Amino acid sequence: MTYWETIFFLITLGIYALASGGYIYSLVFKNPRVMPKITFLVAGGLFAQTVAIGARFAATGHLPWSGDYESALMGGWIIVGATLIVGWRNRSLQGLGVATVPLVLIMMGFGYMRNPVLTPMAASLKTFWLYIHVYFAWLAFGAYALAMAAAVLYLLKRKDSQRPVRNPSYESFPSLDRLDELIFRYIVFGFITDTIMITAGAIWAKDLWGSYWSWDPVETWSLISWLSYGISIHLRVTFGWRETRLAWLAIAALSTVIITFFGVTFIVNTSLHMFNVR
Amino acid sequence: MIKKIIKYLSSLRFTILLICLLGLVFMFGLWIPQKSLVKQLYFQWQANSPALVAFLDALQLTDIYTSPITLTLWGLFFLNLALVMWQRIPLIKKRIAISEAKITDPMSAAGYPFKKSYPLPDGMDGFSIIALLRKRGFTVIESGPGFYGVKNRLSPIAFGLFHLSFFLILIGGTLSIYSEFYGYLDIAEGESFQGGLEQYSQIPAPPSLAKIGSPPQVMFTVKKIVPLVSGFTETGLKVDLLDRRGRDHEIDINRPYVEDSTTFVLKGLGMSPLFVLKDPAGKEIDGAYVRLDCLKGKKDSFLMGGFEFKVKFYPDYVLEDGKAATRSLEFKNPVFDIAVERDKKQIAEGSLVRNGVLAFDGYRLEMREIPFWVKFTVSKEHGIPIIFSGFFLASLAVIWRLIWYRREIVGKVQDEGGERTLEVAGRSEFYKSLAEDEFKKLFSGIVGKSLRDEELNPSLNSHPY
Repeated sequence: MTYWETIFFLITLGIYALASGGYIYSLVFKNPRVMPKITFLVAGGLFAQTVAIGARFAATGHLPWSGDYESALMGGWIIVGATLIVGWRNRSLQGLGVATVPLVLIMMGFGYMRNPVLTPMAASLKTFWLYIHVYFAWLAFGAYALAMAAAVLYLLKRKDSQRPVRNPSYESFPSLDRLDELIFRYIVFGFITDTIMITAGAIWAKDLWGSYWSWDPVETWSLISWLSYGISIHLRVTFGWRETRLAWLAIAALSTVIITFFGVTFIVNTSLHMFNVR
Repeated sequence: MIKKIIKYLSSLRFTILLICLLGLVFMFGLWIPQKSLVKQLYFQWQANSPALVAFLDALQLTDIYTSPITLTLWGLFFLNLALVMWQRIPLIKKRIAISEAKITDPMSAAGYPFKKSYPLPDGMDGFSIIALLRKRGFTVIESGPGFYGVKNRLSPIAFGLFHLSFFLILIGGTLSIYSEFYGYLDIAEGESFQGGLEQYSQIPAPPSLAKIGSPPQVMFTVKKIVPLVSGFTETGLKVDLLDRRGRDHEIDINRPYVEDSTTFVLKGLGMSPLFVLKDPAGKEIDGAYVRLDCLKGKKDSFLMGGFEFKVKFYPDYVLEDGKAATRSLEFKNPVFDIAVERDKKQIAEGSLVRNGVLAFDGYRLEMREIPFWVKFTVSKEHGIPIIFSGFFLASLAVIWRLIWYRREIVGKVQDEGGERTLEVAGRSEFYKSLAEDEFKKLFSGIVGKSLRDEELNPSLNSHPY
């Protein structure tokens, strides 16, 4: 990592850690007025993260596309960015950060442990399919993360609605009906981008590895996560699964995505998706 | 009985069961080393736990993706899909049909969660409402004072197209399996490939021939191989080819050579130095371009003149604490460390540079030049365009179905006591709240009201996302 990248990466981690604490404080101590301030703090974190990405780009000549560290850095940026955009367009959804910011904090912490050395762009990544494949991969992960966040808000608000004394922090969230629909909408968006990601990946794999599908662990897990969300959509549309059941599905299905993005390369070193050179 | 079986085989519960079972198969395939995918790991595991591996072999869990159980599951999956699609065709036809029977009273229409009435301004009547709806993409039919409008009427067809894409992938995949030729080709700078089977490498495996079709009819000459490296990162591998028609092709990683439905993908790089062995009298005994797989620290060996030469290559040679090392993968200072053996006994060891000499036991080993060789993965299969069409169709269909979903409205314009009122009911696929917001915005726009309408939820900003 470069000097400025390190500084701003750590600042980002610090801000997201503070923000995560702030969200927990807001909910536990029933103080909804803190939430807009936390949103500003997260926006500051995103700015610091952007500077870190810029510093890395200046040193390597390419955006962070490969390896666990770069995936966490860029993926975290997209998830937090999406959270802020959604919260800016609809203030009642600022609470999505309750789930997405801690997720990104853990992701970036994990990525930091996974060899953040600077590397030039490997030959295997020099193709326009990289941009299509990785861009849609991050859109999918971001959407699935937002679905998970909406699901978490739904479950918290639903539990709170059954209490005699309500937590005012949840009043600013959308209604349970709207949260339920939001979960489904984010899953749909994620599923569409996931499908495009897999298609682009298969076409790229044919040129790079000579085969459009090799049952590589990352490929197989991406298929498992695609099927998980496909089943979720089927269960919603055909069997009417909604509300609590859909919320738990959205949370559980995200685990398959996390395994695809980070878990596989952590456990195995025989995956064709290991683009790190050294 | 048969009807019951068909009913079960075509049920969505069965679909979900099959998907879960296939998911389980994929997970087994991830945890249990697969013979065909990770051979080395499999053999290592077999050596460590022969009884366990034998047991799993017997259950075909070490070749799970092509085992009879998995193929059966796939077969049932596509049977289920075909039956479901067949049953859905009349439903889809019914849903995309448009008829006057769909015009009902909005306030009592069943299945329409959004119901509102709007006073119409002067000059606005049913015809102008319908015209405005048509401008906004609705297909509208009218009967008397009532009308029915639908947007994205044909969206249910995308359901069929999405699932049809699976069959395209199945057909393409099956055609690929039966028509696939697969092999490895090692070829050095200056060498020509004539298309003969004998030129294919037998390592790691001999070429597998297609069940239908012939091996590739391709010929080319490798003019130049230029690896690009920056530090320890390979940033490119440019290979210049001359095809049989005399045309030049520059290929690289991610840019394979394609001819006669055959793809030549760059898989590896090696060194092919020209070694010349001279006897103590200075006479040349032997000489050859020796293909060595010695990059990235790998050791290799070759035989020449009765000696065995064990080789280690340093692309950017440097001595670190008295030990040979390389500063980078860049070919700035290429040096071969060679150990000479005769009858399995080492007799000499030394370094050899380009145009250098290694002297041992009176003999001299010279290295004249260091060209490269590349390994190609050669695959010829006829199903790829069909498979990619399937992927493309799946992507388009899922976008069409989930973004351009149907919205329906029924409406009526009523004249009462000199005042005209528009009564509407609306519904959409998938979403209720989003549809309500959309219809409120639509009709507020149509009847010319401001968005600061007390009907709009003040706690929700203008954007529902």
